[in-house]
Amino acid sequence: MRIEKNDSFIDAEILDNSNGENSKMNTSADRLTIPAKSNGKDYWRSLDELSNTDKFQSFVENEFPEGTIDMPSQVSRKKFLGLMGASLALAGLTACRRPIEKILPYIKAPEEIIPGIPKYYASAMPFGLNSYGIVVETHEGRPTKIEGNKGHSSSMGRANSFVQSSVLNLYDPDRSQAPKHLGREVTWKAFQTFWKPEHEQFLENDGEGLAVLSESFASPTLNRLRNSFLEKFPKATWAAYEPVSDENIYRGLEIATGQVYQPINHFDKADVILSIDSDFLYLESSDIVSSRRFADGRRVTTENDSMNRLYCVENSFSVTGGMADHRLIIPYNRIAAFTAALITELRKSGISISTPDAIDQIDVSGIDTKWVRILSNDLVFNKGKSLVIAGYRQSAEVHAMVYAINDGLQNNGKTIYYHQPEDRLYPRKSEFKSLVKNLESGKINTLILSDINPVYSNSADTDFTSAMKMAKNVIHYGVSENETSALCNWHLPGIHYLETWGDVRSFDNTLSVIQPMIAPLFKGKSQAELFNTLLTAEFISDYDLVRETWKSLLVSQGFDKQWQQVLHDGYLAGSDSHPEETSINKRSITAGLNNFNPGTTKGIEVVFAKSSATFDGRFANNGWLMENPDPVTKVSWDNVASISEKTATKLGLKNKELAEFSINGQKATVPIWIMPGHAHNSITMTLGYGRTSGGRISNNVGVNVNRLKTSDSYLSSDVSVTGTGRSFLIACTQDHHGMGSEKLVADQIQKRLPMIVRESTLDEYRSNPDFVNDVVEQPELSSLWKEKEYTEGYQWGMSIDLNVCTGCNACSIACQSENNIPVVGKDQVEKGREMSWIRLDRYFSGDVENPEMVFQPIACQHCEMAPCEQVCPVTATVHDDEGLNAMVYNRCAGTRYCANNCPYKVRRYNFYNFTSELPEIVQMSQNPNVTVRFRGVMEKCSFCLQRINQAKITTKNENRTIVDGDVVAACQQTCPTDAIVFGNINDPDSKVSKMKKQNRDYSLLGEINTRPRTTFLAKLRNQNSKLDS
Amino acid sequence: MNILNKKPIRSSDTASVSPGSMYEEVPLITGNQTFSSVTEKICSIVENDPPKMWYVLFGISLSLLLMLVGSVGYLIWEGTGIWGLNNPVGWGWAIVNFVFWVGIGHAGTLISAVLYLFRQKWRTSINRFAEAMTIFAVICALLFPTIHVGRIWVLYWFFPIPNQMEMWPNFRSPLLWDVFAVSIYFTVSLLFWYVGLVPDLATLRDRAKTKARRVLFGILSLGWRGGNRHWRHYELGYLILAGLSTPLVLSVHSVVSTDFATSIIPGWHTTIFPPYFVAGAIFSGFAMVMTLAIIARKAFGMEDFITIGHLEKMAKIIMVTGLMVGYAYSMEFFIAWYSGNEYEKFTFINRAFGNYAWGYWIMVSCNVLIPQFFWSRKMRTNVTVLFILSIFVNIGMWFERFVIIVSSLSRDYIPSSWDYYSPTIWDISVFLGSFGLFFTLFLLFIRFLPMISMTEVKGVLPQADPHHDMYHNSGDK
Repeated sequence: MRIEKNDSFIDAEILDNSNGENSKMNTSADRLTIPAKSNGKDYWRSLDELSNTDKFQSFVENEFPEGTIDMPSQVSRKKFLGLMGASLALAGLTACRRPIEKILPYIKAPEEIIPGIPKYYASAMPFGLNSYGIVVETHEGRPTKIEGNKGHSSSMGRANSFVQSSVLNLYDPDRSQAPKHLGREVTWKAFQTFWKPEHEQFLENDGEGLAVLSESFASPTLNRLRNSFLEKFPKATWAAYEPVSDENIYRGLEIATGQVYQPINHFDKADVILSIDSDFLYLESSDIVSSRRFADGRRVTTENDSMNRLYCVENSFSVTGGMADHRLIIPYNRIAAFTAALITELRKSGISISTPDAIDQIDVSGIDTKWVRILSNDLVFNKGKSLVIAGYRQSAEVHAMVYAINDGLQNNGKTIYYHQPEDRLYPRKSEFKSLVKNLESGKINTLILSDINPVYSNSADTDFTSAMKMAKNVIHYGVSENETSALCNWHLPGIHYLETWGDVRSFDNTLSVIQPMIAPLFKGKSQAELFNTLLTAEFISDYDLVRETWKSLLVSQGFDKQWQQVLHDGYLAGSDSHPEETSINKRSITAGLNNFNPGTTKGIEVVFAKSSATFDGRFANNGWLMENPDPVTKVSWDNVASISEKTATKLGLKNKELAEFSINGQKATVPIWIMPGHAHNSITMTLGYGRTSGGRISNNVGVNVNRLKTSDSYLSSDVSVTGTGRSFLIACTQDHHGMGSEKLVADQIQKRLPMIVRESTLDEYRSNPDFVNDVVEQPELSSLWKEKEYTEGYQWGMSIDLNVCTGCNACSIACQSENNIPVVGKDQVEKGREMSWIRLDRYFSGDVENPEMVFQPIACQHCEMAPCEQVCPVTATVHDDEGLNAMVYNRCAGTRYCANNCPYKVRRYNFYNFTSELPEIVQMSQNPNVTVRFRGVMEKCSFCLQRINQAKITTKNENRTIVDGDVVAACQQTCPTDAIVFGNINDPDSKVSKMKKQNRDYSLLGEINTRPRTTFLAKLRNQNSKLDS
Repeated sequence: MNILNKKPIRSSDTASVSPGSMYEEVPLITGNQTFSSVTEKICSIVENDPPKMWYVLFGISLSLLLMLVGSVGYLIWEGTGIWGLNNPVGWGWAIVNFVFWVGIGHAGTLISAVLYLFRQKWRTSINRFAEAMTIFAVICALLFPTIHVGRIWVLYWFFPIPNQMEMWPNFRSPLLWDVFAVSIYFTVSLLFWYVGLVPDLATLRDRAKTKARRVLFGILSLGWRGGNRHWRHYELGYLILAGLSTPLVLSVHSVVSTDFATSIIPGWHTTIFPPYFVAGAIFSGFAMVMTLAIIARKAFGMEDFITIGHLEKMAKIIMVTGLMVGYAYSMEFFIAWYSGNEYEKFTFINRAFGNYAWGYWIMVSCNVLIPQFFWSRKMRTNVTVLFILSIFVNIGMWFERFVIIVSSLSRDYIPSSWDYYSPTIWDISVFLGSFGLFFTLFLLFIRFLPMISMTEVKGVLPQADPHHDMYHNSGDK
């Protein structure tokens, strides 16, 4: 197991957080104040001496503070001169950098830390009401990579792109570094001094005029502190604010059952799944578990296996929609009507559904009745083995209806379980609204905002910004300063979850302790510490606060022993709750749905979605996520208004044209992006862009469209759209998707697609199991010379099962984190110079109005007859005996001939020195086992060579050979659906060998005799023959 | 006796062109030149102050050269990112320019070596500056592969230099073949040119009025005194070098074409490339010689030496090679269709109708349609027309390389990677700058060295081949 026992961890000197104020590490100021004489070389003596004068130091600090370095590509004279000066001035100081890094020299070396050997710690990542159990790779106390925790039910050893990239947020150079009062840097002491009299005054008046608005959480400690707070200040209010949340799901269950439950979907147990606007494979909560279970029900190894069937109803393509066997495109405002039509249809088949009759009265005109009827029959046929799920954006009423459908189909308790939530603070828009009212009426004089950014994200119908100004004191706590903190008189720096002690409950109530991997980089305090300070006006460390809470949670054995077991495992075994028996609450559902009328809207609707890159804006300053293209639109660095071609033509809009959207006096100008398979008269926009003070990555990227929406709904109807005629530069990583304006290209791609992404239906596969070989005629290949045979030792290979690959991008971010892949910026992506080693190709096929979407992950195929190797004039890319196509960065001269000759176009070239200007703090996030590439060299997927070598060293020490599972590539490790499998193909029992023996195995472009080591398993769709038109 | 019986290949038999008679040719050298008038005319250009026009042209060229130096400096400072290259299109204008300039050079070698071996005496008036053009074009060509690499400071890795790491270049890579082919070509061309210059340098030495010139030309002329033995060795050496150069005419551009032909990219992976590239190279080279010849004869009043007859012959070669190139274009299409390979077929349809169709049609118009004017003798003998058409051919041949390189890369196998390449200001400045380099060198050459080979021109004067009247009706005057 990779997880190490970490008793020594707590005592490790480097992590000693008792004097948090002084634990700032590794800033340029520190570096320069160290007398360089002892280390600098002699002939630089004069410069060294110069460097010790105050004047020089202040000059250097002012000239190059951490925050001033821009993204590459912009060369100004100032920067040029600065760089020249810097290289001269710092030349003599480089030698003295090492000893002053606080983290490297151990005065008292902690046990079990061997420099160069990473350590793995279990922890958990809180994410609103969700959390993910994780394992963090740390190098000498420096977290670099996050993976899922195999034992943890929330991640099952896998991660998604948000979890993967959250490590970069730790090293965000724009994080807030010190408390601020009225914009001036102060100390935490100053805040405590300020809070003491306030606290006493609120104790006297029971907290009248005191309000806390925090993010939602599922944490025993935070919940305990909140309860104590409300006990101590009974008149105070404490609400949770989330711009996008699962509130409607919980409210829907409340309507249906009279109680709030946490639904847990077991897709693996369902044969037929209906997703109603639910992107459960990607952007919904518990996506990792959902993907994993869905893939378990989907995976086939032979033609005799069965697979689940997925129906999907949505207005705009989602990742889940791409996996669907049947997809119904309807405008968002008709989705409730669709659900009602389904209920009516199910009732006709004798299913008893406890919704009031009013639901049957809903106008269902325009819904494809045949589709609904066939779907209904399929669901009825698979009663108890089906699953209906609605997305977070759907109204509570739709969720209540969906509960009733699952109830009627007897799925509840079979494919969906409901758990009693614990230790949670739910976001409720109604509470937020009443808080705003109270603010407006001046009833609140002290407002505490914890880790939220409502000034940026609140909708047009609640004017939080001006309401906030009515309070006398507004205290903002957060990891970064943001749009909201700028308007508050106090800003208190938060800390990243990798620096803090804390605890969380996951969706099934499994308890985890969040443990710090590194001492806080800046002067932040954890949320628990803040809450405790608010509560008691005293400071207690988060470690003590969490242990205090857990004293009541760990009662069975000795506390310390069990506590250490939790730290080691990453969760408290057996703390997950049991599913509850649930039933329809007739009175509640009748009251909730009797007057439900979704109505119909004419005109153009705009639907809002959370962003795959920024979520709701909170990840906006994360370069990895920002640059990673959206899986469906393939647009990076911007949000766009997706629209169908027909509607765009109707509105006179062109692709990439800036269009002005206005509703109720609110306006936003968003670029148009034409998408196949989008509902007509419907436009989809992503939230979370257009930040104005979110940091160097996020600022002024995209458009903030929160103002176009109301707080209760993700839909705005009757929006007026006018084209501006101006075109907008959009960085899209895949210009051609198989459909579009250029007919020549579209036709060609449709012709090629069956060869590139081989696909069939389950029925056809059963009648012709070898269909993959029928697509391309591959002649017998003979060689002019005796070819090298790769039959000895380890032979590395990869297999990618397209049938379960959902296109979720997790592999791409995992690779970026593992292999130090640089972020290049919008202009470079727009030029086609993105650096991702593994990309997800997305194609549409079939009818332009209702196409199918497929994904294909492409990384270096490690061809045995690699075209790149032959053409390199300096042998910088060569083959090793284990079948790896190795790239020797040191030897590369940068002719780019290899990239030209690569038929898969997986080679990435360093057009500029993309890494030289990384702020020092961001450099800390890099994997020390992977070379950082210099300007002018080629790079590409190495099959995680560093991991192979690590495994070789380990197994050699253990006097054995590598067995399957010893080497796990980063992309494989994180893949939630196990679509990517890597291993030794020379071992007939390895998982990858077995996959390659399946009859769906094919080589991409195998006909040109490249003999790739990566092969694919063809995609299948389990289509309902009755729906084939 | 046989030799005497054989009618020498020279066209001074008729004194003037009679319009309408297709087969009568202009004499090689006109204006009743004598040995001394030839020497006087050609040497005076080198010895006297150049016309004002020279200074103007030199100023422009030098400015462009400075732009090149600046652009290359910035390129090395910042990286190849300043060019418009992207992921599918890893080679852009730089490699287009490389192939373009290498191609230009070919005509020089063809004229001086191949035509020499075939005893085409009309070459004497143009071979010197055609060879100079070759050398300067190859210098320009060498510039581009040098600067287009990502790490220019490790360029010596391309050469098989013994080293302590025992690292050798990859002999399977066509880029390495290029290194050998082009460097050999440059060396042989330089030697050939210099050997041809020796007797003329001696003439300049003998006429030198200043000590500096006397010493300089004295060193360069290698002690040439015009003795019989000198001539014997000279002729033999020249012949050997011509023999060595001749295969290079075919090999260099064939090797360059293997950069593409040995790859697997549809549109590059074509066996027709070697002959097609050689034909194209001669085509473009002659167009460039024509352009330069017309400028030079006008600027320095050399109409007697570079006659309309020379130009007409070059026009004929341009037309023939243009037809060959046109044949290659159509054969590529035929093979793409005949192969039944989907990728191959699409590449060619895409060339003609896809994202770079504009480039393709510029290429076809300039290289296939425009040379058709040369069917007409009127066109072939009209200097203005020749000048304009030769420039069109130069443009067309640049676009040919652009179409081959860029359009094939921009849309290859996997459609997800398809992208469009457009040049940046730096691509353009380096290209224009290379013309600055070329013309700076060329102008320096015509200013300081005899641009026409006096020795060889004298050899084709009627006086050099005296005969008795019984063999020839038109006596030498």
